[in-house]
Amino acid sequence: MLGYIMRRIGVSIMILFGSSFLVYNLAAYAGDPLGELRFSTDDNAKQQIIALTRELQLDVPPPLRYFLWLKGILGVFVGKLEMGMTRESSSVQGELAFAIPVTLRLVLVASVTALLLGLAFGIISALRQYSRFDYAMTFMAFVLFSLPIFWVAVLLKEFMAIQFNNFLSEPSIPLRWMFIFSCFTAVFWSSLFGGERKRFWSVFAGAFATNFVILWAIDFTDWYLHPGLGPILIGFLSVGIAMGVASISTGLTNIPARNAALTMAGLAVLWYYPAQWVFNNHGSYLVILLMLALIVGTGFICASLFSKIDRGPIARTAIITGVISGFLIFIDRVMQTWAPYRATDAVNGRPVPTYGQRKDQLVTDDFWLNNLDTIMHLILPTIALILISLAGWIRYTRGALLEVLNQDYIRTARAKGLNERTVITRHALRNTMLPLSSLFVGEFVGLIGGAVITERVFGWSGMGTLGIRAINSYDLNLLMGVTLLLSTLVVLGNLLADLVYSALDPRIRLVKE
Amino acid sequence: MKLTRGAKFALAVAASSALAVSLLTPAQAAGRSTVVVHETNSLTSFNANTPGTNLVTNSVVGYLSGSGFNYYNDKKNLVANKVFGSYKVVKNGADDFRTEWTVAPGRVWSDGTPITGVDLLLSHVLSSNAYSKAAGLGDPDGDAVPAFDSNGYGGTYSDNIVGEPTLSADKMSVTLRFKKRIANWDLYGPGVNAVHTMVLLAEGKKALGSVAENNAARDRFLTAFNTKNTATLKSIGKVWSEGYNFTEVNASTNPLFLVGNGGFLVESAVTKSSVTLKVNPKYNSGPALSGAIDTIIFKFISDGTAASQALANGELDIYQGQATADAVAALKKLTNIILVGGTGVAYEHWDTRVNASPGQPDYNGIFKGHGGKGADLRKAFLLAIPREEIVEKLIRPINANAVVLGSTFSVPGQEGYDRLTATNGSGFYTGSQDALNAKALRLVKKHYPNASPSNPLKVNVLVPGNNTRRAAEFALAKANAIKAGFDLVGDVKADWPGRIGNSEYDAVFFAYVANSVAQAGSNANFIIGGGNNRMGVALPNLDTILNKLQFPLDNRQVTSLIIQAERIIHAEGITLGVFQFPAVTAYNKDLKNVKPAPLTPTLVWNYWEWSY
Repeated sequence: MLGYIMRRIGVSIMILFGSSFLVYNLAAYAGDPLGELRFSTDDNAKQQIIALTRELQLDVPPPLRYFLWLKGILGVFVGKLEMGMTRESSSVQGELAFAIPVTLRLVLVASVTALLLGLAFGIISALRQYSRFDYAMTFMAFVLFSLPIFWVAVLLKEFMAIQFNNFLSEPSIPLRWMFIFSCFTAVFWSSLFGGERKRFWSVFAGAFATNFVILWAIDFTDWYLHPGLGPILIGFLSVGIAMGVASISTGLTNIPARNAALTMAGLAVLWYYPAQWVFNNHGSYLVILLMLALIVGTGFICASLFSKIDRGPIARTAIITGVISGFLIFIDRVMQTWAPYRATDAVNGRPVPTYGQRKDQLVTDDFWLNNLDTIMHLILPTIALILISLAGWIRYTRGALLEVLNQDYIRTARAKGLNERTVITRHALRNTMLPLSSLFVGEFVGLIGGAVITERVFGWSGMGTLGIRAINSYDLNLLMGVTLLLSTLVVLGNLLADLVYSALDPRIRLVKE
Repeated sequence: MKLTRGAKFALAVAASSALAVSLLTPAQAAGRSTVVVHETNSLTSFNANTPGTNLVTNSVVGYLSGSGFNYYNDKKNLVANKVFGSYKVVKNGADDFRTEWTVAPGRVWSDGTPITGVDLLLSHVLSSNAYSKAAGLGDPDGDAVPAFDSNGYGGTYSDNIVGEPTLSADKMSVTLRFKKRIANWDLYGPGVNAVHTMVLLAEGKKALGSVAENNAARDRFLTAFNTKNTATLKSIGKVWSEGYNFTEVNASTNPLFLVGNGGFLVESAVTKSSVTLKVNPKYNSGPALSGAIDTIIFKFISDGTAASQALANGELDIYQGQATADAVAALKKLTNIILVGGTGVAYEHWDTRVNASPGQPDYNGIFKGHGGKGADLRKAFLLAIPREEIVEKLIRPINANAVVLGSTFSVPGQEGYDRLTATNGSGFYTGSQDALNAKALRLVKKHYPNASPSNPLKVNVLVPGNNTRRAAEFALAKANAIKAGFDLVGDVKADWPGRIGNSEYDAVFFAYVANSVAQAGSNANFIIGGGNNRMGVALPNLDTILNKLQFPLDNRQVTSLIIQAERIIHAEGITLGVFQFPAVTAYNKDLKNVKPAPLTPTLVWNYWEWSY
């Protein structure tokens, strides 16, 4: 194993060396960093050329200059990494150190959400193979596959930011839109539940009516100006969540688990007002983490109260329910910030931004205002990123799960009388995760370097923006910094994916050839 | 309290209508006093005068926080800032030319320290190669970076300055002595620097000094300057070259870095996101502020579409950029903004080869040689470039006011342009394209009687790569030139800048970037041995005229000389201007007095006039 890893790392270094040499020379010969100065009619253009030549060592031919650069990189082995300076006289390391967290913040949420949604849709799609839902998902996946992100971004900004902000200044949902939207939602839910024609139409009617009433209520109360969930709604939602989680996690036949989950839902309602006090007076990430820990603790206690045996699954169910219900309370608090946020000078009544990481004009110590500001700036790029990567996950998951469902051990599991829930969650899903786990590592590495367009269009100064800047200004050091980092990540990511795969799947062994 | 259903309903109606009314009232309070301006590139430094930091955004922030003796307005004219001070020629000798620069009394830095002539001396350190060498600060032409890593070395100032600037007895004036008369001498005046802050920074101070301490610090600089004290100057040089390269400003930033004399001072900055400037309460170094604006924020948005959408969403008040036709079409649909087409500093032109440029193999193409056949064919070729069509199809969708250039020395709107184009020989190249094509074909047939659209002459053209507009421009030119008997053979190269001088190309087209307006700014393109003379132009009579431009002249004399020069250039068919790069500015329609300008500091040049 260790030998395998060492050999892989050795090969990786050779690959990195070769690729960086190639990229360096290609990039160096591709453009002329002095090009702009050559056409300058500045009085001292000649002097400027001398200064830039000196700064970028342009008098050394690129193949040799590469080794000057490499010398700095190899300094990493003596603890003195030197990636050079950018053309704007800042250090490449500094630029990278600034860009990586920005990209991570953008990509992490989007990747995880896309993964979860993709898994969910893919699983349902596979379980309801050739149903209306499956066809709808397949259709959607192919539409999403073909969407160019820059165009999605422009549309998102137009409709979800500019138009929505306009809408907020004179909010009223026209009746026909309530109708269209309700129809759409109803089709979604009825396709999701599937079944015979009668069931389809009854679900359709129910969903349509519910949705219509909700929309009407939202419109009538101007909910979008003062949104919030309130303890009652949270109570209802939590009970629903408790039942849902219990049915997936342990099955509703597991009475203690169901009761533990319902207890957690009830506690969520009871905790609503104390939580408000905590949020208002001690809002910070640390406090939220502590509250999360409290929920987990309560979940364990709950589980031990309801059962003396087999507490693991019960605790799991209780904790998941608690965390989701708690998240609802958090969401509710974020929603309560909406009205004051809109009223701030910096926001000026137009809360959905099209650009940037935060509103720099918003100078406040209020945790919730800052938090909502970050969320608002994350929303559109995250949706854009989710939309483009969702399709892949849906298709992968669907394919992988279908393949597993046709395996002999699934038939065996069914034959020995396991209920369908257990067959799916324990036998089928776990095996489906195998190929997906290695995909996720690769996808994530790709996203860090691949969010170029999203970052640029939404003004996030992450790795993608850095790369574009490097290319546009023929900034060789910066370009090499970005390429080296990304290629290292790709190489390491692949290695990691292989290791994870072998760890998860006992059939795979990493051995010397 | 029990409410009937009717009462509840009434209450709900009342509440929501109250809300609706409150929302219908304009969200923008009447007292809006913030302007959010778009910049394409991020701020990288608060010193825009080093080779690495000489970028528009840095300069613009510097312009708002520092006022000097003059500035460029929207018409590309240099305007004297009489509030700050005055300047004049005090000795006009052929080998002893002196200019005097005087700071008006009572001008102050934002920390309250009076501005004096000593604040004008650092500029010499930043511009004179001789001083840098003499003071042991390093040779700007050498292998090592000099102590002051300035972008200002070399050039006219450094080549012609004699000795050091002399400070008047009252320390309010500085006199510069040049070894000959200098054209555009008003461009080579001293810049203003808060030297006392740099001295304090070099000494490791972290807080603003009192006026007395500041004056003492300034005296220490004066002593170091006069005695060429290498150690002190080097420590100041380190601060000047590196100290200002930060992009995050908050309460913990050393206030010494932020002292200025402009109308607005940096209040806060967020790396790669924005920089916020607040009005300078002690400002008295330039035209009085309108008073309506107290905050100017620069927001950095690199993507043009993103910026125009941000404008539509009210996140920006002013958008500027080299927009595409699509972006302009989108902007036109917005109702809450005013859209102005404008021009950039670059101008596109077509050049023809006369001879090989230095270091190149002989040129034996059809355009070879001055006068006679070469000149006729060059003129015919330039006639065949459909300039009006190029402007109409490629430029006007972006800037509706764009016109075909009648000169490569001056641009529309600049002083004397109309008089210039009326008589500079550009008339030969204007008219309906059919007439021009016929004229061109006649010139071609004079030397190649068999040439015709079906039997054309080959012309090798270098086409700059990676540029859709230039690809379209070449396609239009090729389609038309065939009518005049020329077959344009394009060679698309991404690394075109280094190939312009190659003898294999009969013609090239590209743009020059004119970052300042100098009488002799185009000389290098045409005179024998000129740095930008890549087409082998060698006309002694043209050189004679152009060399006269290197001395101070009034505008009328300059125009007359340019007319003479351009007559020769046009008669020889050497170069022909096509268009100025289009730029677009769009701004919040409530904002007043925004006037886009092509030269740095671009549209902020009249920030004091802005108001709501």
